[in-house]
Amino acid sequence: MIAVHDLAKQYHVGDHVVNALKGVTMSVGAAEFVTIVGPSGSGKSTFMHILGCLDRPTNGRYVLNGRDVSTLPPDELARVRNETIGFVFQGFNLLARTSALENVELPLLYTRQGVVRAAERRDRAMRALEAVGLTDRADHHPNQLSGGQQQRVAIARALVTQPSLLLADEPTGNLDSATSHEVMEIFARLSSDRGITIVVITHERDIAAYGTRIVDFRDGLVVSDRANEAREPARVG
Amino acid sequence: MQKFLRHPVVDTAIKALSRNRLQTVLTMLGIAVGVATVLAMMAVGAGAQRSIEQQVRAAGLNQITIRAGNWRPKITDSDEAVAHQGDARESLRHPLDRRNPDVLPIAFHPEDDPMEKHDHPTARQRLGDLEAGLGSAATMTFDDAEALRQLPGVQYVAGGIHENVRVHLDPSTGSGSPRATSRGDQKRWFTRMHGTDVMMPSIKRAWTFTSGRFFTEREQDRASQVVVLGQVVADKLFGPGAAPVGREVMLWNQTFEVIGVVTSATWVVQPAPGDDQFDAVYMPYTTTQRLLNLSKLNDITVTAESSGDISRLSREITKLLRIRHGIGDHEADDFTLITQATKALTTGGLPPSVARAVASNVAELEKVTLEQLAMTMERASRTMTWLLAAVAAVSLLVGGIGIMNITLLSVTERTSEIGLRMAVGARGKDVMRQFLFEAVVISAAGGLAGIVVGVIASIGIARTLQWATVVSPLSVVLAFGIATAVGVFFGWYPARRASKLDPIVALRRD
Repeated sequence: MIAVHDLAKQYHVGDHVVNALKGVTMSVGAAEFVTIVGPSGSGKSTFMHILGCLDRPTNGRYVLNGRDVSTLPPDELARVRNETIGFVFQGFNLLARTSALENVELPLLYTRQGVVRAAERRDRAMRALEAVGLTDRADHHPNQLSGGQQQRVAIARALVTQPSLLLADEPTGNLDSATSHEVMEIFARLSSDRGITIVVITHERDIAAYGTRIVDFRDGLVVSDRANEAREPARVG
Repeated sequence: MQKFLRHPVVDTAIKALSRNRLQTVLTMLGIAVGVATVLAMMAVGAGAQRSIEQQVRAAGLNQITIRAGNWRPKITDSDEAVAHQGDARESLRHPLDRRNPDVLPIAFHPEDDPMEKHDHPTARQRLGDLEAGLGSAATMTFDDAEALRQLPGVQYVAGGIHENVRVHLDPSTGSGSPRATSRGDQKRWFTRMHGTDVMMPSIKRAWTFTSGRFFTEREQDRASQVVVLGQVVADKLFGPGAAPVGREVMLWNQTFEVIGVVTSATWVVQPAPGDDQFDAVYMPYTTTQRLLNLSKLNDITVTAESSGDISRLSREITKLLRIRHGIGDHEADDFTLITQATKALTTGGLPPSVARAVASNVAELEKVTLEQLAMTMERASRTMTWLLAAVAAVSLLVGGIGIMNITLLSVTERTSEIGLRMAVGARGKDVMRQFLFEAVVISAAGGLAGIVVGVIASIGIARTLQWATVVSPLSVVLAFGIATAVGVFFGWYPARRASKLDPIVALRRD
């Protein structure tokens, strides 16, 4: 599914050169649920951006589904994001004054075939909402939804193009622990039921415990990469 | 429409614009003022253009009339002309007469009225064509007219023969009751007869036919006895409001069929008795030549394609005719060129001899007088047009900057939305299209409002200032096009900036 080799990323901040990633090599198989942990500044977000084709590495190779995407031009990367990758963000990033359903439809406006027809859009968005159990909130606007519900709408939006890779950057950072676990349950289910590859960034150990594999980042390098034997996490509350 | 409004790009634009409703409306207002001004400007410009054209046509600024015969003092004779200034008789003398001061000049001779039956030789018979005085010195031929037609810059050429005639109602057509002949002056009218060319209505562009038509090429070729009446003649003979077409009139004891009545097409010139244009009758010059047994023309009327070309054309015509008539370098012309400028001068209150001296010696004369009048009017309307253009340009610029401003504001406000859209697959061009569309929505909506205001303003200007305005469909389309173009132009930079955003940076901004 994912194969990165000696991935490096440099930023220029003024005269300084920041080495965010210093050569990461790892691979992720299909239907794996990987959680990435590490302190801030460890390079995990940069790694995630490159995995998500939002950014290109300075060095190294990134092969996604057998295709080298590390040197694709921006428009091609946009296609890859649209077709292969679903994103979930810490801040939900839903459009205000726009219904949950329309928020979920958003990726369908940018497909390779252009804008998907309205009826089909609605149909596919409803199915995605069904997967996160929010069909009854389809017409609600984000400000009428709780944080957990908003994040579930965001997950539905990530699922609507039926991607094979789901990337979540601190998806529970803005949620209380109960709803955090609800959200993580959804990820776990998507991984096991639908065989979607999931990569979640977190700095909370109990959230990381949902992964079948936990990767530790520090100073732009992978310091530990282990399978999570005790899959069942400690429930809180 | 419903479907269009539901389109995601449109939907997003409407949502985005309603977010900053007040700014959006104010920006639209700026564009509306600009577009309304553009429209009013074009309406005023077109209206002024039209009224100037009408007046220029009515005045016949692009006409040159070449009359047979020559009454003007030559440049080489100018000392003499000044010496005898004020002496009309002297200046009226034909140059050929000047050698013998005892011979009286022949300016007009009552014998020239063809109505009169003469029992003695007429002036023409006694003196020959050239000697018979201005206009009747038949030195010009149909071939001259044809030659002039070949000159570059010439639009129309029409040869003419002119006589004073008495027009009667034909008693045999039954129009005349027994009393008709007794009330002679109602049924008989002394007027001007123009034997002319089928081209005449094209030359006299300020003509319109109240009924009927002008004579045709065919009637001219056959020298048919058909006649077109001037409005004044028609009114005098048949009474106002009558329909003379198809009736018959008598000229030179010959029956002519009335085929049309002509009047002025512009308020600038009104038909009046004695005006030579509408107190006149027109027939094919061939008919005149046949009935009066003439082979020459009194004059040739030439119109230039451009009224600014009159001076050059006058010189060309003079050169050509001197060659055709075999006139030597030191001999006087046997014809006279008359333009509107020379005409205006001679009727301008100057002593005739001075006027003529000026007319013959001042080059580029038509650059003054009437043409200058037209130019003054044009300059006035051009000033108005430029003023409006400046207002339009400024308001469109301000409106455009407003659009740029509000679009930039929108891009800034929606940075994280742009990032999200990019994350879910929007390409730079998708983002760009969205923001460009929003800019165009503002400018097009402003444009539509401006068109409504502009049309109302144009009507208002026409009503209150009595200033002719013409709102053409083309100008409406153009105004809308300009508005849209302003949107595209000023929306381009912000949209481009949005499309170049780095999705990661954009996502981080909340």
